[in-house]
Amino acid sequence: MSAVLTAQGLTVRFGGLTALDALDLELRPREVLGLIGPNGSGKTTFFNALTGLYRPAAGRVVVDGRDLTGATPQAISRAGVARTFQRSRLCLSLSVFDNLMIGDHRNLDHGLWANLVRRRYLARQVGQAQARARELLAIFSAPLAGRMSEAVAALSMIDRRRVEICRALIGGPRILLLDEPSAGMTHDETHELMADLLAVREKLPSLAVILIEHEMNVIERVTGRCMVLNYGRKIREGSYREVAADAQVRQAYLGED
Amino acid sequence: MDPAVAGQYVLNGLMLGMIYAMVAVGFTLFFGVLDVIKFSHGDVVMAGAFTALATLGGLSAGGVVSAAVLVVAATAVAVAAMALLGALIARTLILPLRNAPSLNTLLITLMLGLALREAVRLFYPNGSNPKPFPRLLPADAWSAGGFSLRADSAILLVAGLSAIVAVHLIIHRTRLGLAIRAVAQDPETARVMGVNFEAVVMITFGIGSALAALAGVGDALYYNEINFGMGLWLGVIGFSAAVVGGLGSLYGAILGGFLFAALQTVGAIWFAVPAYKDVFAFGAVILLMAWKPTGLIAEKSAERV
Amino acid sequence: MSATPGRSSLPVAVAGVAACAAACWAFLEAESQWVVAALAAGVLAALPVLDRTGLRARFDAAVHARRALAPALVVTAAFALALVLRDSHFALLMLASVALYVTVCLGLTLQFGFAGIANFAGAAFFGIGCYSAAILAANTALPHLLAVLAGGLAAAAVGSVLILPILRTRGHYAALVTIAFGILFRTFLEVNDVLGGPQGLKVPGMRILGWSFNDPPPLPGGVEASFYLNYVIVAVALAAGAFVLVKRIESSWIGLSFDAVRLDETAAAVCGIDIARWKILAFVLGNFLAGTAGAVYAMMSGFIAPNSFTFGDSLILVSIVILGGVGNPLGVIPAALLLLILPEKLQAIQEYRFLIYAVLVILILLYRPQGLLPRRLREYSAPGPRP
Repeated sequence: MSAVLTAQGLTVRFGGLTALDALDLELRPREVLGLIGPNGSGKTTFFNALTGLYRPAAGRVVVDGRDLTGATPQAISRAGVARTFQRSRLCLSLSVFDNLMIGDHRNLDHGLWANLVRRRYLARQVGQAQARARELLAIFSAPLAGRMSEAVAALSMIDRRRVEICRALIGGPRILLLDEPSAGMTHDETHELMADLLAVREKLPSLAVILIEHEMNVIERVTGRCMVLNYGRKIREGSYREVAADAQVRQAYLGED
Repeated sequence: MDPAVAGQYVLNGLMLGMIYAMVAVGFTLFFGVLDVIKFSHGDVVMAGAFTALATLGGLSAGGVVSAAVLVVAATAVAVAAMALLGALIARTLILPLRNAPSLNTLLITLMLGLALREAVRLFYPNGSNPKPFPRLLPADAWSAGGFSLRADSAILLVAGLSAIVAVHLIIHRTRLGLAIRAVAQDPETARVMGVNFEAVVMITFGIGSALAALAGVGDALYYNEINFGMGLWLGVIGFSAAVVGGLGSLYGAILGGFLFAALQTVGAIWFAVPAYKDVFAFGAVILLMAWKPTGLIAEKSAERV
Repeated sequence: MSATPGRSSLPVAVAGVAACAAACWAFLEAESQWVVAALAAGVLAALPVLDRTGLRARFDAAVHARRALAPALVVTAAFALALVLRDSHFALLMLASVALYVTVCLGLTLQFGFAGIANFAGAAFFGIGCYSAAILAANTALPHLLAVLAGGLAAAAVGSVLILPILRTRGHYAALVTIAFGILFRTFLEVNDVLGGPQGLKVPGMRILGWSFNDPPPLPGGVEASFYLNYVIVAVALAAGAFVLVKRIESSWIGLSFDAVRLDETAAAVCGIDIARWKILAFVLGNFLAGTAGAVYAMMSGFIAPNSFTFGDSLILVSIVILGGVGNPLGVIPAALLLLILPEKLQAIQEYRFLIYAVLVILILLYRPQGLLPRRLREYSAPGPRP
């Protein structure tokens, strides 16, 4: 069973600080891999290196057999990798539909002639895109699907998260990187989010996901396998239960002896 | 080239570089503390020069004759006035806009610069014409061969250097400097630690503007002439110097300032038409920016992804 | 927001445009400065009232309710105004100039309002169009329409060279490079005698297919009109074309890509958007518009000189875009009318106009950054049943 994504010895340095230290990671087809660890352990740095925002000092990133080490974010997106951000990066002044279409960039016709002259063709494209967007949003929340023409700024926190996840999904990626989707949410909202993630698993079974989370409930319910980072290094790997019982992991998080 | 002539070019270049460095340090301070490009900075230099001129006029009319007293008094008034102006600008224009898109701050400071220029042109007596600035520094020179070192050049170089060193010491050796550096690195944490964010920003702008006033007075004393438009190009040069050196880095600003002066000197030697020295220097700077977008000494990274 | 354009929206739109046209007529025809000042005060006082009563929002919605309504109404109003004022050289020259400045500012809207690229050398690109057309018209037999096109292409070409080094850098670098270019352009013109030096260049009037624009137009019924009417027609046609182009870009996937680049480059890159490609397109296209407007302006003025293309002039263009409402192409029109006609009629403030504009923009940025007509949410096609 060949891995969908492999990181080998991935190292990221900022000046004298080693944020990621020779990380080895394998993402298998159709799995949800949890990535946990205390703050500053390198999880988001890992995502940034994977998506081409940071240049690794050493190591390789292989997606679907293609070496994408040091590739541009655009090339990595074309290879089918999509992500959300820890600090929500939506265009608040644009509509929900607009934000989703930014994520669908690859599938849209951007030719000058098509956009400026063939307006009826463009209108058809828009109509089809609206249908696609509505369908995707409905997986999460039917009312949200009805709010596509509103500005994102008018949405609640959890709805914004949903929009950001949909923006990542609408392009039809093979790999989804979720960075702390439950950050800033209440207990109830986290429950809803968990249901959302499970619905995604059900509707898009061919998707492989890496999920960074601090909420252990979510990790326990949604992920099959887990990896724990500390100071940029992997310290444990296994199912959530195995990892939660590990003494080293507990010490990293809680400082126990 | 004759070594004496070369030496003269070098000396002029050093003078220019000193002035540019002082302006560039201001830009880098403002960017460091608030991620802000204050495009009116060059015009603050000009305002400082005009304030000094006005002070000189007042003092001379009041009967003061001693050159030393005049220079010191005019400089002091200009520095104090510009420091106040800088703090005021921070309070009324920059701080209120800190959550708006950064282009808005850029625009508002650009317009402020225009307003300053026009205000001087319209309201200062005979402001639209270049105004002579009195020769107050000792005019003697020390000669060797064909090369002469004027006393005023020496004084200005030393004064400029001391000012930059003083700013460096403030930033790196005092508690205030620590607060400034804390705010520059992480405003939220600094606030949590008890640093008064608004006060630090206003003080930083005050320091930068005080330095600008010094640059303005130094420029006026050296070239003996000031005009209302001198700040615009000076600001552009100061900004590019700060950028090339690496925005946010004190040493980068100084390096950039002298580098730009060196490029202008080379351009002046190469091109017959004097106007082309600016085109050359600026073209070289653009290429440098294209090669090293974060500056020769890396720009402070402002974004958390 | 209504789903379909109601019957009530058309009268609102027409009334609004007619009111603006009437105000323009009043401004242009007023003889004494007191009348002009009173009119200006009236307009300024009307703005908050329009806001409070919601009329401004209604007008904006009404005018955008139908796809081609805005340009159709404005063009009609402009021609009506031109015919009413057909005897006045000054009024027609003003109208044509405003239309040309609107074209340039629409280009700036593409660059700055949509793609987020600051361009403080608008007057320089305008000037490139002027000088290209001047040289081509005076020294070659190139048809004048092609010379106008050449002016646009020259500005676009220079723009593409200017933007390449700053593609990898951040927003304030583009500002710096365009400021420097805007300042140095005038110097460049003055030291080059080939371009006329500080004294400037004479430019032949426009001739298309044997019709000389510098002769009064042959109107039916023996009606007399200033020759500037010819230029008004060209300028308004150009502005209308530019408006349609900019609106179509805005309401397409291209406009969306521009917005993504402006609002969040990192997110856009991660979604696969080629940042450089869209920045280049916006910058080059915007400068093309500025250059074509410049070419027509040169032939209309008959004479161009370096001191019309200063950094201050670029700042006026930026002021128009900000006053009108960054990102709303329609807002450029009232803003241009205000900022260009007022100082011409109020001679007393002519000298102070830079200072006044600077203070005005500062106040806008502090208290009403969205300008006269705030930017609207994107509508891709003719409004129909909303999603």
